[in-house]
Amino acid sequence: MNGTWTLTKLVLKRERLVVPLWLLLLVALAAGQVQRYATGIPDMAAFAREMAANRALTAFAGEVHSATLAGMAVWKNADAIYTILGLIMILTVVRHSRGEEESGRAELAGAGVVGRLAPLTAALSVTCGSAVLAGLLTAAAMTAVGADAAGSLAFGAAITAAGLVFAGMGAVAAQLTQTARTAIGVAALGLGVSYVLRFLADGSGVTALKWLSPQGWSHLVRPYGDDNVAVLLLSLAFTAAALALAYRLLVRRDLGHGLIPERSGPAASDRLTSPLSLAWRLQKGLLGGWIAGYAIAGLVLGALATSIEEVARQGAAVEEFFRRYTASPEATMTDAYLWLIVLSLGYVSALYPLLALLRLRNEETSGRAELLLSAPVSRVRWVAGHLLFALAGSILVLAAAGLTMGLAAGAPGKVLAGALVQVPATWVLAGIGVLAFGLLPRAAVAISWAAFLFVNLFGEMLGPILGIDYWIAKYAVPYPNLPMVVSGEPFTATAVLSMTGLAAALTVTGLAAVRRRALI
Amino acid sequence: MELAIEVEGLVKSFGRVRALDGLDLSVRTGEVHGFLGPNGAGKSTTIRTLLGLLRADSGRTVLLGGDPWREAVDLHRRLAYVPGDVSLWPGLTGGEVIDLLGRLRGGLDRARRAELLERFELDPRKKARTYSKGNRQKVALVAAFASDAELLILDEPTSGLDPLMEAVFQQCVAEEKERGRTVLLSSHILSEVEALCDRVTIIRRGSTVETGPLSQLRGLARSRVTAELASPPNGLTRMPDLHGVKVDGNRISFEVDRTRLDAALAELIRVGVRDLTCAPPSLEDLFLRHYESAKAER
Ligand SMILES: Nc1ncnc2c1ncn2[C@@H]1O[C@H](COP(=O)(O)OP(=O)(O)OP(=O)(O)O)[C@@H](O)[C@H]1O
Ligand SMILES: [Mg+2]
Repeated sequence: MNGTWTLTKLVLKRERLVVPLWLLLLVALAAGQVQRYATGIPDMAAFAREMAANRALTAFAGEVHSATLAGMAVWKNADAIYTILGLIMILTVVRHSRGEEESGRAELAGAGVVGRLAPLTAALSVTCGSAVLAGLLTAAAMTAVGADAAGSLAFGAAITAAGLVFAGMGAVAAQLTQTARTAIGVAALGLGVSYVLRFLADGSGVTALKWLSPQGWSHLVRPYGDDNVAVLLLSLAFTAAALALAYRLLVRRDLGHGLIPERSGPAASDRLTSPLSLAWRLQKGLLGGWIAGYAIAGLVLGALATSIEEVARQGAAVEEFFRRYTASPEATMTDAYLWLIVLSLGYVSALYPLLALLRLRNEETSGRAELLLSAPVSRVRWVAGHLLFALAGSILVLAAAGLTMGLAAGAPGKVLAGALVQVPATWVLAGIGVLAFGLLPRAAVAISWAAFLFVNLFGEMLGPILGIDYWIAKYAVPYPNLPMVVSGEPFTATAVLSMTGLAAALTVTGLAAVRRRALI
Repeated sequence: MELAIEVEGLVKSFGRVRALDGLDLSVRTGEVHGFLGPNGAGKSTTIRTLLGLLRADSGRTVLLGGDPWREAVDLHRRLAYVPGDVSLWPGLTGGEVIDLLGRLRGGLDRARRAELLERFELDPRKKARTYSKGNRQKVALVAAFASDAELLILDEPTSGLDPLMEAVFQQCVAEEKERGRTVLLSSHILSEVEALCDRVTIIRRGSTVETGPLSQLRGLARSRVTAELASPPNGLTRMPDLHGVKVDGNRISFEVDRTRLDAALAELIRVGVRDLTCAPPSLEDLFLRHYESAKAER
């Protein structure tokens, strides 16, 4: 454990900008929503009733447990907070443990006076510490905007608990695999499964399923309802078990290695002949993981469509719901649900091309790009190999979900079309990724993640909190502009073509910048 | 005399750091050219500019008769590069990396590849992430030596090799020279430079301080003289031409420019010489002289 404090200070220093930013984001999502509803919803009881009856929305947000202002604000954004925090925890733990080991910096630290448990302990203290801080700050902010103190504390505890669980999951994943990227993939899979289980529980009404999901445990606290914090003992027990496992694995394995021993491979290769075949080798794992994940998510979420109950189109909130997600008076609740799901899958799919393109940055900083480009390979040919996977991969990922979801929901053609309509919007994000890599390579990672979070949060969550109408978000985010082919809108090419054009322009500009800049 | 590399007045800044400050370098076709300088002198930066990875701020750079920035792809068909810190794709085996680089450079000699793997004692079946630093370097070296590039650019290629492998490396470079290839070799290992290089360029803080054949550089250097005298060499220590004078009883040792050797020896003989060694100037002396003055200026 020697040196833990020194390393902790190092981690804190490297996180000093990022942690405050996401703390601010989470607190704003919670307390900002209270202020938004305080002025925007005249009849809270009626609003709560309409929301509780809307299965599509309860699937996304969870059950309504309290018709109070704070209760409804938490209902709206709590699940997003638990999930975003979980993702941040995974990224942070893995970055400072496996990521450091992979880059060899941990070896430097390990050769010094630092004990072998110190790097993981330092990573965990900062992540878990920030999860506790997130809970406390949210509780304080909720109380400050007038919410009940006990409920706010319960909500804060639910947030911290969700954070701790995924920090533990990240710590275990970091011991299992050899690269940070795979570790993040493994832990993110855990987060995804947990998300889908909770979604299914609330979407199908089989609420017992929630007991299988870490996000579900935080939901079961029911803040501002009965403040049942005892459920969080489950989260704490899970975290403790995960941490114990992570440390056991850590002491049993060698520095720099995973648990699975490395096998030998071929002594020669006829297939690696071009930058494109190299890109395939480097990209196929990520692409395969996304296709599999999306196919399963599509299957599960599509199956749920058959149990969505219809609601009468009465009440302001219900009308607004149909206005947002359907385009014809004949569209049913099921149609709205299906569009909402393909749209959400579209939003999240934006991460795939961004991650695929960040490989380029990883190749550059590691020095591997230097070796490749010292051969007769042009910059454009190098980038194009990875770009092909980012762009064509986006189609495959969305098509996989569209296919399984359509089959499970009994509307294959319509749902597949709905999923594929998302592609140009996802390509716009890919274009932003190429542009960032070309123009601001050192900030490419930050820009990519910021763009992803912005696109996902702005229209539905951040915009309203900042007082920006959902319909204005259309001008900032591509997805709400897509034709709602699943819920009554005929296909029109305008949005799709202009997004494809925008994506192409961004990509070409980015490529031109890559050609002109130095490799750094 | 044809030049493989011609660099004149090369300037490159990173923000406020002026990494290259009017550097000159000329490498003749068919020679092994040593490229020396203390840490941070700008060797890697020069090489990365020659490879078209960085763009020069000003100065003239000609590589194999072309512009390294604009004609990068065409020029790269004719050269092979081994970076100082080789990082490989962790999931590929050494053999796969060698084949990939070879194919990209337009094919590689199978027989030579097998022979080099043998000589460097490299297991091509292992995943790159399990290789040590030295083994990663060997992968890049085998790929470079097995290619039929006319120019090899090697940036501290042996910093991770053990003495046995260092010897293999030196043989390989000698063979490349036999076959008429040009080699630019940046190195901190003096014995390697002495054994392999026809000419060297020494740089310091981004500019060239000396360049030429080793024999001529040595001519500029001083000889170290150690003598056992008949009596303590009191007056001698004040002679202006002597450098690094050390006196221990009747023993004296100093450095002197070769052109001043006559006068210095005359002084010694005046006192009376019992024993005398006059070491030929080594590259190391030359090196240290430049490196130390670099330190003093810092
Ligand atoms: N990408 C960069 N950004 C900022 N400064 C840089 C960058 N690359 C090199 N430098 C600076 O340029 C100078 C020359 O570095 P370079 O790597 O060329 O030295 P070198 O002669 O290869 O040293 P060594 O013997 O240690 O390999 C150093 O001061 C270094 O800090
Ligand atoms: Mg260097």
